[in-house]
Amino acid sequence: MSAFWAQLFLTLEWAFFGYFLCINAAYLALHYVSVFSILEYMRDHRADYLPRDLPAYQPPISILIAAFNEERSINSTIRSLLQLDYPEFEVLIVNDGSTDATLSSVIREFSMVEFPEAYRQRIRTEKVRGIYASTRYPNVRMVDKVNGGKADALNAGINCVRYPLICSIDADCILHPTSLGRVVRPFLEDSNTVASGGVVRVLNGCTVKNGFLEKVELPRQVLPMFQNVEYLRAFLFGRMGWSPSNALLVISGAFGVFRKERVVAIGGYRTDTVGEDMDLVVRLHRRARDGRRPYRITFVPDPICWTEVPSDLKSLMGQRMRWQRGLAESLIPNLGLLFSRRGGTVGWLAFPFMLLFELLGPIVEIVGYIAMIILWWFHVIPMQVFLVFLFLAVGMGIMLSTNAIFLEELSFQMYPRVGQQLRLFLAAVFENIGYRQLIAFWRVIGMLKWLFSGNARSHWGEIARDGSWQHADGAGAGGTRKGGSP
Amino acid sequence: MNRAAPLVEFAFWLGVAVVALTLVMLAVTLIMRRVALRRDRIYREAVARWKPIIVAEPGGVAARLPSLRARDRSGFIRVWNDVHESLRGGTTDHLAKIAHEVGLEPQLYGALQSTSFHDRVMAVIALGHLRSAASFTHLAGHLDDKSPIMSLCAARALMQVDPQPATPLLVARIVERSDWSQGSIAAILHEAGGERVSGPLTEATLKADGELASRLIRLLAGASPDTAAPIIRAWLVAASDEPVVSTCLQVMSNAADLDCVRPLLAHPRWHVRMLAAATLGRLGLPGDDQRLIAMLSDSQWWVRYRAAGGLLQLSFVGTERLRQIQQTQSDPYARDIITHVLAEQAIGSTA
Repeated sequence: MSAFWAQLFLTLEWAFFGYFLCINAAYLALHYVSVFSILEYMRDHRADYLPRDLPAYQPPISILIAAFNEERSINSTIRSLLQLDYPEFEVLIVNDGSTDATLSSVIREFSMVEFPEAYRQRIRTEKVRGIYASTRYPNVRMVDKVNGGKADALNAGINCVRYPLICSIDADCILHPTSLGRVVRPFLEDSNTVASGGVVRVLNGCTVKNGFLEKVELPRQVLPMFQNVEYLRAFLFGRMGWSPSNALLVISGAFGVFRKERVVAIGGYRTDTVGEDMDLVVRLHRRARDGRRPYRITFVPDPICWTEVPSDLKSLMGQRMRWQRGLAESLIPNLGLLFSRRGGTVGWLAFPFMLLFELLGPIVEIVGYIAMIILWWFHVIPMQVFLVFLFLAVGMGIMLSTNAIFLEELSFQMYPRVGQQLRLFLAAVFENIGYRQLIAFWRVIGMLKWLFSGNARSHWGEIARDGSWQHADGAGAGGTRKGGSP
Repeated sequence: MNRAAPLVEFAFWLGVAVVALTLVMLAVTLIMRRVALRRDRIYREAVARWKPIIVAEPGGVAARLPSLRARDRSGFIRVWNDVHESLRGGTTDHLAKIAHEVGLEPQLYGALQSTSFHDRVMAVIALGHLRSAASFTHLAGHLDDKSPIMSLCAARALMQVDPQPATPLLVARIVERSDWSQGSIAAILHEAGGERVSGPLTEATLKADGELASRLIRLLAGASPDTAAPIIRAWLVAASDEPVVSTCLQVMSNAADLDCVRPLLAHPRWHVRMLAAATLGRLGLPGDDQRLIAMLSDSQWWVRYRAAGGLLQLSFVGTERLRQIQQTQSDPYARDIITHVLAEQAIGSTA
């Protein structure tokens, strides 16, 4: 290798090292903010200290379920929602042109009849074919529309909902009966709250009976186990860390509550992105900041929504490539927020963090690894240096994952046995050896796809379902489902 | 590479430090788990020991109770509070007797000094249930706690101990503290009895404006609708602050004040027109049906919806009359919205 190339690669290597230190320092900082936030939250919510709010003070909510080919799980999800412990809510299912029996199955199961709704299109969507209402459950309705993707389905739902707060949940999510009450709490505590999101946890390995989570267990398979650690990291310090400074940029599409009028005011969900959930939150920030309106976007750390994660490599690859693409599609059109005069913490810290570390991070990581291998191959650096950098990179990753396990212990202790903690720790070690690098590679591919083909239309991703957690509620296991961001 | 050697060495030692920190973090996590398991075991033992005694029927309390060990205190207080909450409105004399027998009150004062937030709040709640006059000053000290949970619990306890001197203290904090959840305040006022708090609350409401006025009017209307009525009327007549007017329309319950509502059907903001239509539907008198019929052609869906729903609610209109009204409407939007609310009524679903 010529001296020029060797010098170039070496410079690149040190740049990678500096970037690596910065990204880990940033994650550590988030971790420490999260520790204090979680301690404060747990202090106030360890028990129900106060008498229950009078029902008149709990705002009614419309729960939106966008569904595409969900015949196997949709009825079970609706049944579990009907048992939520909340005074007033409606469930609105949006059948986005399913090609299976989703529509007929819901109509049959909930005795639905066609309803002469005076439909008004506040947000433009694909054609609505019909609206149905249950004759057995007055608070269950369904919109049947031409296929237009998840964002389009949610927009059609927003056009139909009755209540001022909307809660979007995935069609295969399991909620705890108190979930709605918990995620709505920020709206009661601060009238400026426009959105609130909750923790999403990994359902693989757990047992669900009649729509309720009966037993929490760690996943038995390796991939879901690694994702379990990732979810702990993403939610317990990725989101909890940003929430206190009102700089939360992501609320999972799997479970989030929004003030309807604020969502309508920004035109609803964008249909030309696969990251419609993150994009919505970024635009809510931007609109409020541009308009100098007081607002709050909050994260609630209670483990309130459980979802099945991919257990095969193909589904996981598709999901991660889609998430990375969604991230790019949410950040780039909103670059106006970056270092804007009214940007606050979100514009000056969270947005640059997402751009620099979440969007570009995988590229730097993969380029760094490749440069290292090339330098070692051409004997520019000795094996010893290569191993030292690898040792540091893997060590940092393990430390961050262990911090997430620590936060889990500090908060909800969903995995209380010592054996479970040790298994989590082992997963935290091994997910950094190979798995993390593979995910980074897929994310780079997702970025490249976005770069060379532009924004994608919001669509339904397909993930092979295991479904072995469902028991005794007549919902069959297996099949496919859509995949939103975590 | 020589120039790079110190940096490589730095990277190596940084890696070693990271691994060491990771192991420390793992050890701390495991130790915390052991401590939590031990705490849970002690708590469960305390519950197993005391729950049968505390939940015993009023006549079934043993003449001689076992002594309350320090390690049982937290579990005892938790169960004792829980049983109180479950008996809300019922007799709690036997619980007071148990508390007296085990010498709970001095232990609760001790718990107020605990470093554990949980133990302190539980002690505040228990002192409220105990209703001992001696605890008033102890509890008042927690009313201004930074934590809204602690301060609200103290406010509730004070109202339980002695509502007379507690009410002005509570109302002053309701005005000052925007971090207090409205639902919790309303629950405390409801528990204390609306008429008891209406005087000081009215005084505060009369002095308030803007967002605070909205908050206080809602609380006052919940606590004492009759006392709130003249204040609501005054705000509706002035119609100067839209959010306050909206709150007034939502909580008003006096049909005599409808003359202030009717002009609001022409308000430029659709939100106000919608609430005015809903109010007329709730409280309307003969003649108001014609006003609501006119609203069926409003440009806003929600105003049309509330007007149609309001017509259906008026006792002197009814389903058949609404069908007749529908046939006389030339506006297709008006006809559609009536079809909509009639269908909702048929399946028992309304927003």
